[in-house]
Amino acid sequence: MAEPGLGPRKVVGTPTHRPARTARIQSYVPEVAAGVGITLKHFFRNTKEMVLGQRPDPVIESVNEGVNTLSYPEQRRPYPERFRGLHRLTRRRDGSPRCVACLCCSTACPAQCIHIEPAEYPEGDPRRGYERYPARFVIDELRCIFCGFCVEACPCDAIRMDTGIHPTPYDSRDQFIYERDLLMGFVGRDASQQGDNPRHEPPDPTYPGLDRHHHGHDD
Amino acid sequence: MTSFAIFIMLLKAGAVVLFPLVLSAVLTWADRRQGAMTQDRVGPNRAVVFVPTRWAQAAVVLPAVLAVALFLWWVVASKGVQGPERTRQAAFCSHLAILALWTTALGVAGHVRRFGAHNDLDRAVARVGDPRQFVYYGMGLHAVAALVQVWLRGTSEGRFLREFGVSSGPALLALAVLGGAAYTALVLGRQDRVGVRLVGLLHVVADGIKSAFKEDLIPPKSDRLLHGLAPLIVMFPVLGLLGVVPFGDALCLETENGSIAGIAATVTNESFCSQGVVVPLQVLDLDIGILFYFALGGTGVVGAALAGWSSDNKFSLLGGLRAAGQMVSYEVTLGLTIIGALMIYGTLRIDQMVMWQAENAWGIVVQPVGFVLFFAAAIAEAKRIPFDLPEGESEIVAGYFTEYSGLKFAMFYVSEYVAVVASSGLMAALFFGGWHVPFVDREGLNLVLGDLAVFSAPLSHPVVVAIGVLAFVLKILALCWLQLAVRWTLPRFRYDQLMALGWRKLLPASLGNIAVTAVVVLAIQGAGVQVDRGLRALGDLTELGVAVVGVVLVCWLVRYWLQPAVHQKLEVTSSAKYARAAGGTRTARMGT
Repeated sequence: MAEPGLGPRKVVGTPTHRPARTARIQSYVPEVAAGVGITLKHFFRNTKEMVLGQRPDPVIESVNEGVNTLSYPEQRRPYPERFRGLHRLTRRRDGSPRCVACLCCSTACPAQCIHIEPAEYPEGDPRRGYERYPARFVIDELRCIFCGFCVEACPCDAIRMDTGIHPTPYDSRDQFIYERDLLMGFVGRDASQQGDNPRHEPPDPTYPGLDRHHHGHDD
Repeated sequence: MTSFAIFIMLLKAGAVVLFPLVLSAVLTWADRRQGAMTQDRVGPNRAVVFVPTRWAQAAVVLPAVLAVALFLWWVVASKGVQGPERTRQAAFCSHLAILALWTTALGVAGHVRRFGAHNDLDRAVARVGDPRQFVYYGMGLHAVAALVQVWLRGTSEGRFLREFGVSSGPALLALAVLGGAAYTALVLGRQDRVGVRLVGLLHVVADGIKSAFKEDLIPPKSDRLLHGLAPLIVMFPVLGLLGVVPFGDALCLETENGSIAGIAATVTNESFCSQGVVVPLQVLDLDIGILFYFALGGTGVVGAALAGWSSDNKFSLLGGLRAAGQMVSYEVTLGLTIIGALMIYGTLRIDQMVMWQAENAWGIVVQPVGFVLFFAAAIAEAKRIPFDLPEGESEIVAGYFTEYSGLKFAMFYVSEYVAVVASSGLMAALFFGGWHVPFVDREGLNLVLGDLAVFSAPLSHPVVVAIGVLAFVLKILALCWLQLAVRWTLPRFRYDQLMALGWRKLLPASLGNIAVTAVVVLAIQGAGVQVDRGLRALGDLTELGVAVVGVVLVCWLVRYWLQPAVHQKLEVTSSAKYARAAGGTRTARMGT
């Protein structure tokens, strides 16, 4: 209702909830006891779990209340499946790099950390004129921003970032320069494939051939 | 004074000074680690000292061997006892052996479950299944042993079993303890160096050593004398606060031809130590007792104010003024709250107060409001959270000890915890019966309800005194821990709220407490014998209540710890799938 002196408008809205000023609340002691009870409940549960080795797993049982602390680096939280770690160059069946030195990745890289020196196959090789190979493939992992554009840009699934390796903190900048052989040496996270991508390779039936006239490597 | 008396007094003074210092280190650890537990985190656990494996193995095996040797020496020395004393010894040895056996088995089972089985013993233990089984078997064995003792009392089979208990009990105990030590040494031997963490206690040690080596910065334009004097004024008086608090019942020393022979073996309730030398477990024998405590406690105001003034820092000055005002205000309440208890006990000497509580009822029963007020005022006196505005960490840097570093800062910090220990000691002595344990008197354990003697187990005099001292220390620990729990729970009071609480709430409440207590005391004194007897019965009932509460607490604790932990799994993310494939995130363990 309109208070005198506040004008003709009605006072609307809900009043602010203020705690009751009962003796129980004003004396503060029962509330302190309740608060201490909550504190001690957490304390007893966590101490028991800590001493008996029953702490919830920080990753699998993270929804639980309790001490979910990981003591890094002795214990590690596994990276997600799509985590972009150090690069690796994948291989064909015969062990040669899948990379055809098309320079898509080095063009797409925002940090310009990929340096490729393409080289032609020697005379007589059926792939000459259709594919190239990288004579040098250098990635500066310190400049890399781990965006994954190189992986998205590659048309041959030649470069991947699925090693799951967190970039190592070295002491000097030159230690971050990774050459082609090192990059080809890394394995993917499953470690089951060293670099094999069996799709679209001879003798796979889906191999498209070098062109519509040449099917297979030795054509 | 004789040299013996001087020696005893120095010993007691040293113990009474060392006790709060050591306890303040432990409380610092508790504040960090256990406070972290209340916040669902681990707390500082990185301080580690790497010791060679041989040293760690020796540190485990040698104390075990020593303890077993001492126990066996005691058994052999008391070989010639007969009668009911022998039965008690047999029962004690057998129960101790059973305890050692199942605790060792439990330890091994827990270790095997966490780290896998490496040898045949591990595999045998793992075959039992859940380590909790060992707890149940152990408790069952304890019950069986107790039943057998009661059932076969006085028979020839009972006597045979008694001999069996006296002879094989210590042997089994030695086997269990030494076996456990050997197993631990074996486990340690698998590592090439052992990281000793002591659950984080090394952090406190490291902090103490670090503070001694830090540079002692003195503000250039400060008053150097006062700046150096303030920590001393704060630190040294609080160390003497526990000098008037009795840590246990007086010790009775036997004399032979005028010289001290040793501690009396047994004493009686009626004539306590009529032929011996009485050594009270209290440093100072003052008639003013508790006034000494308040006199020393008041010096903290001067120290805090001096620290704030001499630091040449406006924030320090603010902190010092706040500290002085706060401490003065709450000292008034502290003193007035005690008056109710003084009226009931009728003495200023704390040891006589403890005797009154031992004969009647604990102080918390007769002065509950007084205890609550004293507790709040004691926390405020020590400037602990929620009354820590003088040190308000987030507001005025560190308040009155901002400009202190190194050892001087450590002295302020330690004196705060020593004040916590001292006030807990006083509260334990005043309100929780001090060293008194329900139903334990000078002759031993006597479960007597009114006129009905239910159970009695005579104990030797040193054991009774040791039980009293242990109980007092446990009560102090519990009260310190309660102060810590209040610190973990409550936010800080604003300064005007703090002063209003002191002057407008606690002071009138304590005056009201005095008035009500005076009326009740006069009424009881004027009433007849019936009321007196009724109150004595009530006092005995409270003693029984305390004992029952203690037993229930222990049972609840055991049941709580035996419960398995139920955790809800959530494996939605690919990280969780990887973790599940690896068998859990915590494959490594950091160590104790």
